[in-house]
Amino acid sequence: MSQTAVKVGRLEKSLQTNKVLRGISFEANAGEIFGLLGPNGAGKTTTLRVICTLLAPDSGSVEVLGYDTRTAPQEVRRRVGVVTAEFGVYPRLSARENIAYFAELSGVMDGELDRKVDAVIERLDMASFAKQRAESLSSGQKQKVAIARAIVHDPPVLMFDEPTSNLDVLASREIRAFMVESKGRGKCVIFSTHVLHDAERLCDRVTIIHQGRVVASGSTAEVRGKYQDLEDSFLALVEAAK
Amino acid sequence: MNAIAIVFRKELTEILRDRRTLMAIGLAALATPIILYVIAQVTTKTATQSYTIGYSGDVPAGLDILFNATGMKLERVADPAAAAKRQVDIGLVFSNSGIDEYYDPTRQSAQVADVRLQTILSKYDAAKVAAALQQKGVDPSVLNPLPVTQHPLSSPTQAASNSFLSFFLPYILITMSLTGGLSAALDSSAGERERRTLESLLLTPAPRSQILIGKILAVTTISLTAAIAAIVSMLFALSRIQFGERAGEVFQVSLSPLATVVMVWLAILLAAAFSCLTITLGTLARNFRQGQAYATPLYFITIFPASIILFIPDFSPNVGYYLIPILNAVLVLRDAIVHDTVSWSSLAVTSASLIVTGALCFFAALRLFTREALLVRS
Repeated sequence: MSQTAVKVGRLEKSLQTNKVLRGISFEANAGEIFGLLGPNGAGKTTTLRVICTLLAPDSGSVEVLGYDTRTAPQEVRRRVGVVTAEFGVYPRLSARENIAYFAELSGVMDGELDRKVDAVIERLDMASFAKQRAESLSSGQKQKVAIARAIVHDPPVLMFDEPTSNLDVLASREIRAFMVESKGRGKCVIFSTHVLHDAERLCDRVTIIHQGRVVASGSTAEVRGKYQDLEDSFLALVEAAK
Repeated sequence: MNAIAIVFRKELTEILRDRRTLMAIGLAALATPIILYVIAQVTTKTATQSYTIGYSGDVPAGLDILFNATGMKLERVADPAAAAKRQVDIGLVFSNSGIDEYYDPTRQSAQVADVRLQTILSKYDAAKVAAALQQKGVDPSVLNPLPVTQHPLSSPTQAASNSFLSFFLPYILITMSLTGGLSAALDSSAGERERRTLESLLLTPAPRSQILIGKILAVTTISLTAAIAAIVSMLFALSRIQFGERAGEVFQVSLSPLATVVMVWLAILLAAAFSCLTITLGTLARNFRQGQAYATPLYFITIFPASIILFIPDFSPNVGYYLIPILNAVLVLRDAIVHDTVSWSSLAVTSASLIVTGALCFFAALRLFTREALLVRS
């Protein structure tokens, strides 16, 4: 049986006066792509931000590889890599310098810094633009920098929050391929998206969130159920939840 | 390497690749000598400026010689009152009963000419009275029962140069400590949100306090560099530019070793305090432009204390005034430059005040940096 990498239990969270999460629970395992699905505003990004310790839960619990996000936030951050649709980079640093900066802050030691940075540059096929300043890179190249800096410390948990929403078809395909490859390396990949077609192709298991609550959870086939595809199933679940 | 050093090195690399910051430092180093050169030209011109007196009637014997010797040019006109409105600086009508003077107080040249005229006339009157008394066998010294002999304890030229430095040095030090690192401070705080790199940065295991300290140290380094560059260029320019001569002495400007040490210490404290303050304001802002709007009122803070020294040169405050940040630095620096002395209690209070100000700003920035609202508002 796969190891549980991320465990979320009865998670509740309000942002100012808006109650965003109302008791979310799920588990994501190592060696799988776990889909966190839902329409815009469902609470997907807030859930991921709580998991990676950027936000503190109001109630409930979140554990990453056994570390509680409240009591051991730094241990959690060491084990998590996050890629979002907003792939901001430091424009006056080169692609390589951007990656090395995050590697150092993530605790990669001096002795292995160059080796790890070079390895990730090679893995993501970035050698041709690694020395260019980030301000001159294309959107796809910047997204690769954002991925590289998230994985350079080789975290066991990878979270992708709408990673393809600002990318063209080719760059999106590379991101999807990368997620599959990471799964093959035994990583726990959490994929948050509202593009159900992508989720259906990639995810082993999914949880659908609507208005801060889980409306369905299980393997992709189980959640699809009697419907032709995940989208029909999703629409039926959301309609039933109203 | 710990997170402070990593962030410091990265921020410094980015700042040094940013043309805005380099231009600010470069302009500071270049602008100061240019401004001083212009001031020197204006000062020299004012000192050697001659003024024109339009007159009618007969000029008393000997007075014309005094006028010519003091740069007052006499020009006969038909109507001195009308001429004094535009054609000449002062109009005089000489008659048997005395002198009628016409001048327009709204004209600066007329004001200066009037002062010179009063000085000349009082000397002329004194000489005439002394001559009349002597002719009647009376000692003219009866007019001056308490003669005063002046013994200046320092060179008047040195005093003039010190008072000049006591205004300009604090002004440049404070202005450059603020503006030299402002762009870098906003870029490393508001810029993180604007570029959407803040979330990734906060996701690293590095403690946020260390990230913040690394940023503040980098901005402080740049602020300090800018302030020192401006002051060094100012002192270099002052050693090259002549401000005319006074009583045969060359107007030389120099900084004593004590004043130099005090200046460098205050520059460090000011740069650190301003860095903490501007990074706090930048953390409040959503983007660079908003950060600039928040920081604009700080420019007034830099001008006001230095202006006090300009308008109240002998301002002697009690120790309580040294608790007021920025003003205290100006006062300590003034004492070091003008009197070449430092009151250690004043310096201690000033240092404590600036350190506490910086610490308060640092904790405010840290609090903002660790608030969830920082990300939610992004």
